[in-house]
Amino acid sequence: MLEDFLPPSVVLPIPTTTTTHLSDIPGRILNGIDDESLDDPIILGVDEAGRGPVLGPMVYGVAYSRKTDSEVLKKFGFDDSKKLTEQKREELMRGICGAETDLFDSIGWATTSITARDISAGMLRPRQATYNLNSQAHDVTMELIDEVMRKGVKVREVYVDTVGPPISYQKKLQDRFPTLKITVTKKADSLFPIVSAASIVAKVTRDYSLFHSAKQRQMEVSWGSGYPSDPRTCKWLNGEVDPLFGWDHNVRYSWQTAKEAIKRSGGLVMTWEDDLEEKDDDYGDIGQMFNGGRKERDVIKCDWFIK
Amino acid sequence: MLEGKFETASTMKKVIEAIKDSVKLCNLNCSQNDGITVQAIDDSRVLLIALKLDPSCFQEFRCDKDLVLGLDLESLSKILRQGNPEDYLTLIAEDSPDSLLIVFEDSKKDRISEFSLKLMDIDSDVLTIDEMEHDCAITLPAAAFAKVARDMKTLSESLQILVTKDSVKFKADGSIGTGSVILRARTNLDDTKESILIDLNKPVNLTFGAKYLNDIVKATPLADTVTIKLTDKAPAMFEYKLQGGFLRYYLAPKFEDEEE
Repeated sequence: MLEDFLPPSVVLPIPTTTTTHLSDIPGRILNGIDDESLDDPIILGVDEAGRGPVLGPMVYGVAYSRKTDSEVLKKFGFDDSKKLTEQKREELMRGICGAETDLFDSIGWATTSITARDISAGMLRPRQATYNLNSQAHDVTMELIDEVMRKGVKVREVYVDTVGPPISYQKKLQDRFPTLKITVTKKADSLFPIVSAASIVAKVTRDYSLFHSAKQRQMEVSWGSGYPSDPRTCKWLNGEVDPLFGWDHNVRYSWQTAKEAIKRSGGLVMTWEDDLEEKDDDYGDIGQMFNGGRKERDVIKCDWFIK
Repeated sequence: MLEGKFETASTMKKVIEAIKDSVKLCNLNCSQNDGITVQAIDDSRVLLIALKLDPSCFQEFRCDKDLVLGLDLESLSKILRQGNPEDYLTLIAEDSPDSLLIVFEDSKKDRISEFSLKLMDIDSDVLTIDEMEHDCAITLPAAAFAKVARDMKTLSESLQILVTKDSVKFKADGSIGTGSVILRARTNLDDTKESILIDLNKPVNLTFGAKYLNDIVKATPLADTVTIKLTDKAPAMFEYKLQGGFLRYYLAPKFEDEEE
């Protein structure tokens, strides 16, 4: 982690709610922004970082440039994000953010960091209201594309990396943006340099967010990469459990790993009022009717109660 | 140890089919004197089910120690469907059981099938239900009541029941229109099961959820007749008598809308 660098998409202190950062429109796009010439259209790549981890935000990144410039990106080393080292990614990110004029002038970008708290809150909504990870991801992606276009960038082509089935996602995007040429594919970061750039802004934003969250907590033990498979993450999760509150907002409570860690560490079993079947208010409570109107069971009534 | 042998599996099959859509989990309370009893309230807390299977329901019954068997009724129903109605059915449990053993014997084919069902810890309070005073009691053929409950549900979510000394009127008032069925008290000397008897202390006018009535009439295969006891502003009781025991439903009436 570079000590003297902070991506502009990372706000300190690390917020608990989802945030979006949009870069300024780069010079080479701003020049002739009204030029609708089709021979050098603006293309936009989408990728995400931090989908699997149980800690920290999931970050969606978009990067855009003129199509001819995107070829130049390869020269700088934009490639399959798995092939790039952490150091290389940070160098490239620094370049995009201003240290490298050619990159800074060519690439515009934006990220949305969906915080662990917001991911969990969506996924754990009671009953049918559940807002699953895929829908959250799709909505954020579409919102990002929309915001870039609202800024005045005349995007023509969109390239999206996906982990899920590409066909249905492609249709969903195409329905939302009928005038754009949309390509959804697996491994898009290795096929399209602009997607690689998007993956780098997302990945570096996520890494710095998690790093600074840890720093803010002044942790004694490292929580690792945040992936459930990381032994340090696993150890941290199991060692830090408060029986009532679990952890803080950096943890995705909707992850099976987190649910199991709470259970294993003697966490209280919660019954959420919202999860219970709603009482039909048209009728009396049959139990109370036989009990002389007394409530059968005392319920600690606030937003939650403990059984 | 519990060992309860039914002469036929059909009673148990019908009982579970009758209640499993209303309650998902319930405790079977077993004791030497009372046989098997169940008390359960549906998730919406409008309907209470009380089942009693006296020792006389069984061909053989012993229960050395009082037992509570927590069951998932959907799972129990799956197992009960594996046996024929005319098979012998035996329920067996150890003194501190973690499962219930269910044995079917087909005496004609010498086929014995054995299942074990995992038990659950189910948290439930047992209510004392005293014999209620009632404003009126109606006994009618179970099938006739089932037909009214099912037919009227297609019109409205609630069913009004009005009882006078010589008739019962069921009334549904729905968005597409209204409907009513009147059943008059009658005594059929040739076939007493077909009689409709009304014992009235006070006229009654109560409204119930059609959905719950439809859950109740799932018990129709258990008995020829059903007895309904109604009291103003109190739970109604619907009783299906068994050979040595009963299945009763207690249903909270709809709160009265003023200005009707």
